[in-house]
Formats: sequence, C-alpha cells, structure tokens
Amino acid sequence: MRHPTDGTLRRLLDEPAGVADADRAHVADCPVCLTQLAAAREDAAFTETALTDTTLTDSADVDAGWARLSHAVQAGRPRTVAAPARAARWRTALRSPVIAVVGVAALLAGAGAAAAADWIPIFRTESIQPITLSKADLVGLPDLTAYGDVQLLQQPDVHAVDDAAAAEKATGLTLPQLRELPRGVVGDPSYQVAGKVTAQFTFSAEKAGETAAAVGKPLPPVPPGLDGSQFRLTAGPGTAAVWGEGRGVPALIVARAVAPTAYSSGVPFPTAVGYLLSLPGLPQNVASSLRSFTGDGTTLPLPVNSTYLTASVADVNGRAATVLSSRDGVMAGVVWVADGKVTAVAGSMNADEALSVARDLR
Amino acid sequence: MAVAVRADLEQIFRATYPRVVGVAARVLGSRDEAEDVAQDVFLTFGRTSVPAGQAEGWLSVAAAHTALNHLRSGRRRASREEATAVHDPPADVADTVITRDERRRVRAALALLPRKQAVALVLRHSGLSYAEVAAALDMSPGSVGTTVRRAESALRKELKSHASSD
Repeated sequence: MRHPTDGTLRRLLDEPAGVADADRAHVADCPVCLTQLAAAREDAAFTETALTDTTLTDSADVDAGWARLSHAVQAGRPRTVAAPARAARWRTALRSPVIAVVGVAALLAGAGAAAAADWIPIFRTESIQPITLSKADLVGLPDLTAYGDVQLLQQPDVHAVDDAAAAEKATGLTLPQLRELPRGVVGDPSYQVAGKVTAQFTFSAEKAGETAAAVGKPLPPVPPGLDGSQFRLTAGPGTAAVWGEGRGVPALIVARAVAPTAYSSGVPFPTAVGYLLSLPGLPQNVASSLRSFTGDGTTLPLPVNSTYLTASVADVNGRAATVLSSRDGVMAGVVWVADGKVTAVAGSMNADEALSVARDLR
Repeated sequence: MAVAVRADLEQIFRATYPRVVGVAARVLGSRDEAEDVAQDVFLTFGRTSVPAGQAEGWLSVAAAHTALNHLRSGRRRASREEATAVHDPPADVADTVITRDERRRVRAALALLPRKQAVALVLRHSGLSYAEVAAALDMSPGSVGTTVRRAESALRKELKSHASSD
C-alpha cells in the first residue's frame, strides 16, 4: 500500500476519525509514516505556540464589541474588508451542476479504471432531476465516514491546458462549440481538464451503530450482506472552457464530463440506498426525496441550494435540461445528460440567455 | 446616517465575535488591531445576505484576509497595545520585549506564506474543523491537511532560519 499523503498524516493529528481505517492501520505499522507523523506533530505544536497567544485570543469582550459596532452602524461608517463570500459562493454555485453530480454520487462510490468483472454497473446517469433543498437540509446530509470507510482512489487532477485540442487529447471529450459568444463575453477562453474521480465506500454496521448511538437512536436492522459491502463511483474525466476568469466570477463556462456511474459488489443498489438514507442523521424529507429518484437507476438527483438558486426544467434540442438561476438573476446555468455525458453551460447571464447558449451549441 | 443592516446581526455577532477576533489576533499578534478588523468585518457582513448558517465561515475568512491585508500592505499602525505597554510597569521587562519581538517575527513569517496557506493555517489553528475550512475556502477536506501541513512546515522553517541568523 502506498504511504498516506502528508495531508492525511496531518489530519490524523487533529481529526483521526476523518482518516480512513486503512490509512490509520498503515501508519501504525509503518516506520516511515511514524517518522513523518512525528515531524508533522512537531511543526503543528510549534505553529500553535507561535500563533496562539491566549492573552490575545481569549475572552473577547462581546458586550463592548457590540456597543462599538452598534455605534458604527448608527454613524453609517463605511468599511472595506476582504469579503470572501461572493466570488467563492458563485464559484460553488457555478460548479454545482457538475460537481454536485459527483458529490451526490460519491455518496455511494464508483468504479476504478480497472473495474473487475464482479462490479456490476447499477446506476447509469441518463437524466438529471433537480431537487430543491434548503440550506438546513443540505448541511444535514451525513458525512458517510460515519457509516463506513470512504476512500478516494483516484484524484481528479484538475489542471489547465493550452487549447481545445489539448483538452480533447487529455479527456477524450469534445467540447461543444459556440456559434457566437453571448453579449458581454469577449476574448478567448482558458481550458481546464479533470481526470477521472474514483471513490470507494465500504459500509460498516459497527460505525453506523456508533453514529446512531451518538444521536441517541437505534440503528435500523442492517439488510443481509450490507455490512462490509463496497460501492464504487467513477466520474469524469471532464473539461471546461472558461471565459473571463480574471474577474473572479467566470463570464461563461461550457463544460462536459463523463457522467457518474456507481457500481456495487453485491447488495443491490436500491437496497443500499434505501437503507443508507434511512439512517439516523439524515432529515427525513431529504431521504424521501433522494429515494424517490433512485428507483429506476437512470435519474441523478441534483441537490440545489434553494437559498441561492431556483431550478426548473427546459428543453435543449430534444433533451430535458435542468435550468438553475440565481435568485437575484445575476447568474444562471443549464445542465443536461446525453449519451452518458453531462454538459453544462453557466455564467453571468439570466436563464433565457443561458438556455439560448445551450441550444446554440454545436 | 444610520445604515440598514440585517436583522440577525446582533445574534450572529454575539455568537461569533470571539472567534472572529481570535482569527484576526492570530494573524496580527495584537488584540486591539484584531478588534478593529473584527469591527470592519462585522460592519460589512451586516450589509450582506450571507445565510446565517454560513456566517461563521464567511466572517472567519473575511477576518483572516482583512488581517493579512493589514500585515502586507503596511497599513498597520502603531498598536495601542504596544503604546500603553510602555507606560505599564512590566513585571519582567525582558519577557515583554522578547514576546513582542517574537510576535513580530511570527507575523513577518506569516506574511510570506502563499495567501491560501496562510488563511487555511490561521482558520485551522482558530479551531475550525477540516470540513469548515474546506467549505470556507472552497477546497476539498482532503486538501486542507496538505495545505495546513505545508504552511506549518514553511512557517517553522522561516522562523528557525530567522532565529539562527540572529
């Protein structure tokens, strides 16, 4: 087994529960890793001492602070801070049509490059069904490390390439072309590519039981064969042409990726999904929504943060597409699945403009 | 003129002010400057519609960036903390001087780190979980450990080389 990364060793110091059991077991018996871990521990302790002077960081006077802020608000005092929110939030929102696909599917893992014969494809993505969730629902989605081991077997390795030809060579995907750029979008795009992502989730009845006990609830009876069952997900590769990155928020993105596929080593996928979604910790309404979209194995739920986005359905050249629009009308995206590939168009435009771009691709 | 601010500002302020001051203080090494930064950050936050559930992450990142901007742009003014310390009767003058000098070195080393490393480092040492740092910085939880590890190694190396050259 390969040595865990420096980042994994570092996390082992702070959040050992966030590190896969296999990595923990490896480190415990590996002199090389133990040496690295000791060095990481020393650097971490040194930094903690250097940064954290408790005379500076403890017991802030909240009342005095609030009195001062109230006064400043009343006085209408202008301030400039390095506000992180807007660009980061929009990047997240923009990426969600594609990345949420990965995120949702990562729930139940996928297949490696050399998928063995006993891995049966049980989840092919042929269409995307939006589910509008509130923020409260989204943050309530469980971290599956509480129910077993999650291992990222293959990193996506996102990087820039010089042009469309290089993107095609790297991913085997042809990016659709625009007949003309929408109003306000100028110049040449930059090209990004991402390799295949592969993750594996191994269900553990013991861990699920501990998690259930922690929230004071009994673990529902585990379906026969599920304990120790493995699920794999593969998504990608993918590529994107991005216009206007320099402004922080892309003016336009056209992206295409191989749609996610999930594989099971035995227990039927619907059985596993149904059980996982019923586990303590997941809001019941989310569980119900997700379950209703996984029955036929060809529809991919796409969680949408309803705080920022609204979702609707439209037709893109005969394909059902999901249209995501920001509530303030500044950003919009369209995403659809065809022939095992997810295509997305998004940018600083309204929903009609995004749809127009999507329908105009060739 | 009074400015319209979000209705939940006080509630969020009271819940998160200590952490926000803590983040800025770790960057600046000065309580007074950290409180100034926190005031600026909350004032800006009050005019946003950032969801309450994301407020702490937003505020922490804003505090880290704003404090780092203070460090790097040379806009730091003489802190009131240091000014008043001159007039205080220090129990041990040598300790006070060393502490101040150490703080200055740490801040200088912090200012040399790549911005993302510096912010991740400060957020992690301010008590944010890997998931919280990842969400706040729009990165994967897996890469938080790598980023923090690199930052810690670089910070220590920088401070050690500084110490050995004295």
